[in-house]
Amino acid sequence: MSHLLEFDEVDKYFGDTHVLKQVSLDVDETEVCVVIGPSGSGKSTLLRCANRLEEIQGGEIRLDGVPLSDPDADINRLRQQIGMVFQSFNLFPHKTALENVTLAPLKVRGIDEDMANARGEELLEQVGLGAQMNSYPNQLSGGQQQRVAIARALAMDPKVMLFDEVTSALDPELVGEVLEVMRTLADDGMTMMVVTHEMGFAREVGDRIVLMADGSVVETGAPEQFFENPETERGKKFLSKLL
Amino acid sequence: MADSYSGASTEADTTGAEGFLDDETLKILGASISSFFALGVVLLVLYILATQVSFTLLQTIIPRFLEALALVLGIVVVSSVLSVTSGIFVGLARVSNTAITKGISAAYVQFFRGTPLLFQIFVVYFGIPVLWPGTFPIQGWELPTAIIALTLNHAAYVGEAVRGGIGAVPDGQMEAARSLGMGYVQSMREVVIPQAWRNALAAVGNDQIILVKDTSLLTVIAIPELMQQFRLVNSATFDPWTPLVLVAIAYLSITIPMGRLVEYLEHRADWGGDSR
Repeated sequence: MSHLLEFDEVDKYFGDTHVLKQVSLDVDETEVCVVIGPSGSGKSTLLRCANRLEEIQGGEIRLDGVPLSDPDADINRLRQQIGMVFQSFNLFPHKTALENVTLAPLKVRGIDEDMANARGEELLEQVGLGAQMNSYPNQLSGGQQQRVAIARALAMDPKVMLFDEVTSALDPELVGEVLEVMRTLADDGMTMMVVTHEMGFAREVGDRIVLMADGSVVETGAPEQFFENPETERGKKFLSKLL
Repeated sequence: MADSYSGASTEADTTGAEGFLDDETLKILGASISSFFALGVVLLVLYILATQVSFTLLQTIIPRFLEALALVLGIVVVSSVLSVTSGIFVGLARVSNTAITKGISAAYVQFFRGTPLLFQIFVVYFGIPVLWPGTFPIQGWELPTAIIALTLNHAAYVGEAVRGGIGAVPDGQMEAARSLGMGYVQSMREVVIPQAWRNALAAVGNDQIILVKDTSLLTVIAIPELMQQFRLVNSATFDPWTPLVLVAIAYLSITIPMGRLVEYLEHRADWGGDSR
């Protein structure tokens, strides 16, 4: 089976700062790949490179074998296949929950309104927000907003979902509801790349743990193996700080 | 040293609270001063209406002021539509990633914001026709001049308001739109501009009210607008107050509804009633 998302010796600089150093990583279909690591290790940047919100300076990133940086590739078409959920939700404040979810299907896919609304309502039900469809983002709690953001990304039927520290801006009591939605998504076979500080979630839902530090992947492994018995010194050090 | 400093500041705070200018006194003082001025203005207006305004003259000059009002309104509507539309494009050019559009729009704003409107009216009225003799009408060049000068001048201000409005939309909005597969133009149109528009609304509204008042400058190129009517009536009758009262009423009858319109538009873009 081929890899769905491939990072091939990716180099990324911010000015003179080398933030991703020859990072190679593959995410298989239906796999939940959890990227962890200390702040500033480059994990969010890696995720943002995966749908070209950041440009890379070396190497290649491929989705289903198609290089994202290929000048012939239609980046808008590629991005439709990559759902992204942000730390700060980034819901559109001038649109209701339902309008947030249906905007891209209507404007990018050009499907008709009844169909978009039906699918949008279904997705909002799925994330437990059937009653809040016509609410504006500022009438929703952080947890609810983030669940709308997940539904919005799902509305384009992406092949892979990227989660960029999606619970970091939430009050502790709201984290659970968002993780629950992600857990269901993983169980349904969605391919996911998750950057998180929630180690419980990483261990329970992740198929593979990727530890990054200083712009490099320092260790990858199955969750049980990584959390019980890390192979590298860096891994041991990181885990010891969590306790 | 630190102790004595904080001690001194505490003492000052206490003095402030117990002294003459505490919160309650300030509030009363503010209320008294503003009502004093308001009352003064009302009394002055009543006094003028009672002693200075000739109602016979008023009746004879009302028609010409109505005509002037209609003319001003026409100029305002056309220049408003043109200046807001082109101002949006100026604002978009100001935030574009292309050096050339950025540079041209910045220079445009610098020039039209940096020189007086009166100068710009003169450039269009006197300067442009001599560049291509015979191309422009000798009669009737005033109205095109008015529209062109007001539009060019106010598009610069609207452009700056729109630029500020776009700048206040968080980067994450564009990123979220792009990550859904929407193109740059589509993301701008569907996501960034509606929010930027609300951010810019107050400033744009302010500018358009100034545009109304700027039509008074058109008196220098003999457009029969409101100030021109004042000058004609005043020089024929030596009565300043009767035409002045009409001028005030005429301008306010445009600017007050415009202010309400801006309030209405702001209210409509409330999006679920946040506190902004």
